[in-house]
Amino acid sequence: MIVSLKYNYRKFDSKPSDAFPRRFCVSRPVIPIQLIKGQDRVKCFAMIDSGADYCIFQASLGEIIGLTVESGKLDHFGGISGQKQLTAYFHNIQIEVGGHEFDCWAGFSRDIEALPCGLLGQLGFFNLFDILFDYNKGRIELKLKNNT
Amino acid sequence: MAENTDLRKVLKGHANKWVALSADSSKVVGVADNPKEALKQARINKEQSPILTKVPKLSGALIL
Repeated sequence: MIVSLKYNYRKFDSKPSDAFPRRFCVSRPVIPIQLIKGQDRVKCFAMIDSGADYCIFQASLGEIIGLTVESGKLDHFGGISGQKQLTAYFHNIQIEVGGHEFDCWAGFSRDIEALPCGLLGQLGFFNLFDILFDYNKGRIELKLKNNT
Repeated sequence: MAENTDLRKVLKGHANKWVALSADSSKVVGVADNPKEALKQARINKEQSPILTKVPKLSGALIL
């Protein structure tokens, strides 16, 4: 059976700039997911980000599902600014996407608390789905890989 | 239940806050400085399946 999940891009407010004087809105590939640990779960938005090496979420979301964030396995990562090394702690959790639950070795970081949502990256998400982004139509399609 | 995917209006006025949205994203059911408190408010407001998100301090392009 082919599992196909379809979502719309979500629209967010945006401030115009000299470069984009008419930009009052941005569309992003943001979908609702659940983070699960045992009996605890929390629903949140997450952005599908092909540039992220792995899945990472705000530490404060991890605490809601009962994680002691800093007890996880440490990794350092960098962002586009490249100025600072950031810290994440990894835990085995499950993520729920469109009614389907998957194991995920996910990072939780206090350094990304300012981000609007967590990131669904290559390891833990792109390895599970074939993903079609259609920006012009505002559509995202996730097809579960056969070997998942 | 139609899902609201245009979040501009519903998130307006909540910059730098954690927001809990209703299951269809049509209304705010909790606002706080942290997601735990936003979730608590959502439960007080009897929302069965709230969705958490953080509203950025500045609304601009996002390059990660």
